Amino acid sequence: MTTETMTTKRELPQGIGRLSTGWIAFFAAMVAVTVVGLYAYFQQLGNGLIVTGLRDLGTGGGATWGLYVAYYVYFIGVSFAGITVAALIRIFKIEKLEPVARMGELLTVVSLILGALAILADLEHPWRAIVNLFEFGRPQSPFFGTFSMVIAGYLFASLVYLYVTSRRDAARLALQPSRFQGLYRFLAAGYEDTPEQRRIDRRATFWLAIAILPLLVIAHSTVGFVFGLQVGRPGWFGSLQAPGFVVLAGVSGIGNLIMLAAIVRWATKTEKRITVDAFAWLAKLLLGLLLVYLYFTAVEILTITYQASAAEQVLSDALLKGTYAWIFWGAIVSLVAAAVLLTWKALTRRWTIAAAVAAGILVNIGAVAKRYLIVVPSQTHGQLLPYPIGSYTPNWVEFAVVFGLFSLGAIMIGVFMKVFPIVPLEEAEQ
Amino acid sequence: MAKYAMAINLDRCQGCRACMEACKIENNTPQAVFWMYVFRTETGEFPDTKMSFMPRPCQHCNNPPCVKVCPVGARFRRGDGIVLTDADRCIGCRYCEVACPYGVNYYNWRTPTEAFAAYDVDFTDPEVEAVTGGVIPPYKNPDLDRPQGDEQRMTAGSAHSVGVMEKCTFCVHRVEKGLEPACAEVCPVHAIHFGDVEDPEGPLSTYLRERAGFQLLEELGTDPSVYYVGGGPPTAETREIERPLTEVQR
Amino acid sequence: MTTRGWITTAIAVVGVGLMVVSYLFWTTPACNTTVACSNPRVPFAAGIFVLGVLIAFSAGAFYSVYKGGK
Ligand code: SF4
Ligand code: SF4
Repeated sequence: MTTETMTTKRELPQGIGRLSTGWIAFFAAMVAVTVVGLYAYFQQLGNGLIVTGLRDLGTGGGATWGLYVAYYVYFIGVSFAGITVAALIRIFKIEKLEPVARMGELLTVVSLILGALAILADLEHPWRAIVNLFEFGRPQSPFFGTFSMVIAGYLFASLVYLYVTSRRDAARLALQPSRFQGLYRFLAAGYEDTPEQRRIDRRATFWLAIAILPLLVIAHSTVGFVFGLQVGRPGWFGSLQAPGFVVLAGVSGIGNLIMLAAIVRWATKTEKRITVDAFAWLAKLLLGLLLVYLYFTAVEILTITYQASAAEQVLSDALLKGTYAWIFWGAIVSLVAAAVLLTWKALTRRWTIAAAVAAGILVNIGAVAKRYLIVVPSQTHGQLLPYPIGSYTPNWVEFAVVFGLFSLGAIMIGVFMKVFPIVPLEEAEQ
Repeated sequence: MAKYAMAINLDRCQGCRACMEACKIENNTPQAVFWMYVFRTETGEFPDTKMSFMPRPCQHCNNPPCVKVCPVGARFRRGDGIVLTDADRCIGCRYCEVACPYGVNYYNWRTPTEAFAAYDVDFTDPEVEAVTGGVIPPYKNPDLDRPQGDEQRMTAGSAHSVGVMEKCTFCVHRVEKGLEPACAEVCPVHAIHFGDVEDPEGPLSTYLRERAGFQLLEELGTDPSVYYVGGGPPTAETREIERPLTEVQR
Repeated sequence: MTTRGWITTAIAVVGVGLMVVSYLFWTTPACNTTVACSNPRVPFAAGIFVLGVLIAFSAGAFYSVYKGGK
């Protein structure tokens, strides 16, 4: 019996199709969190957004955009990583990063879906929103770029990219009998591993990468324009807003990719494939982007404090020493700590995975906090008319929905890992 | 075509808030929603303080940022200068609310039933009946449920349905009938003037021509249709004398 | 150019063409003073734009999957 299984059924690589207890426990936990999130969401759908901590600004004394919008911006930012890394590999031929390319693309797809869901969670009538955006969408609104470019274009482009780069592996796995053989056959779509086909794939991915890079800059800039074009709120209007968003997107995205790569490396036992070198490369990229972002932050602080208008004065006081100071300085401290850690590693040239992961976690804490700070304080503080200072605290509904989104993302990645090799197969693994 | 505008005389306004009340009755707005709001503010240090009042409707900007940002064109400006919200099209993204520098937008956080229940008046209560004589006030002004104007679109004066945006409509349903907005009609000291500014000999144009005035936050380039005469714009020292509404609303 | 190349280019051109035309001529004009500024000139122009994006990028998938002449 055993020998028979051995001969007719070779095991799929990277633990695909085999559910370990650890994975099942992880899956169950994530499903539980998602269910709580769904419960919270349905509360909101039935009763209106009154169940959240959001309120009208002005006489309402609250913030009308809150945690959902902050996380929407954050998720869209995270999507930066995958496609950038994948494109860098294709365009500059960085072989070392090859093993993390597919998980990067997956991260992009998943985080874009989460971003779309986060903004839908913010709307009381999600279905009407989808229909009306298609029917009446106005390019003049910065939201148009966000919705068409980011959600449709960027997401679809990433899916195509993911598909084109996965076909060869699908074809290879389709050769051996397994539970997913049909799926692999379907995905492979008659793929034949000839030199000619490889050349075609290389060319297709190269041009896709070239086409996606500008899309990426446009997409992340439009998210910045959502805020950067508005004169009505202090602290928003500014030409640095869009580039700042692109760079912080890169920081949070690469940080996330480092964390995901470390987890995948451990879970699929691919230590030989994902080398410390790959982490070092990502960490260096992260350091570069992080330094640019810290520079932007310094410029930003100077602009809102140096010769600020009365409204901006109120805002910068709230940020630097008032209500939001702990978030603001928390963000600065974690970003600077990450930068120091990475610089130290870069100077000594002794990279470790732990250091890279620590930096990844730190920058993501910083990124979430900075996203929150761009969305909320300008609504509660520094109103242009003499409204009282407002306040906003997200409540359990919003937190439950956001955690639900995170766990949904984890489920998507976890399931993908059990169905398809998340690390591209090696030639020898055939 | 007419071009509607409003002139508010700050020297006359006595802060009685009758306009806020009239607006609530005319438009049946839910609790904590003030399409018309009167700032009662003070400046200076005790004992040298000065009180002033400033009514604040939607400014019906001629270059409205709220219209620019609306992703689906639910917020629109009519040729006659009135800025409205199509309640049937609004997706409730609240972008107009953050884009408006004047803080005049109100989102329907609750279903109408709940929103009005929050007033907490039981009209069948004998004590209340003794005052009302058994009359239950109309729940809704029927005009608000009708589409208005040439384009026959809703104006978000309607229904207060959950998940859409609403704000001052310059009482478009009254203007269409040739009436003034409710706030202008009810003001006991006639501080609010409404009319056509495109008619050079009309009463509003004459009124504005004879007095120095200003627009709120002129420097932002929104070009409001609401002109203030007398008094002055709020400064950095201007503070509201009332408690923030946050607690009341929650 | 090969058949593969021709068809891929055609798909991409159709997609980009749809994007450009719908964005520039069919969606709502970029203004904010009249009622016309709130309605698209062609209904579902935004949807057509998104469709254009999808078509343009599906050219990449086609290029890789197409097995012509064999
Ligand atoms: S005051 Fe605000 S809501 Fe009214 S037209 Fe101007 S920007 Fe729009
Ligand atoms: S809340 Fe409604 S009116 Fe305001 S921007 Fe969004 S869709 Fe337009």
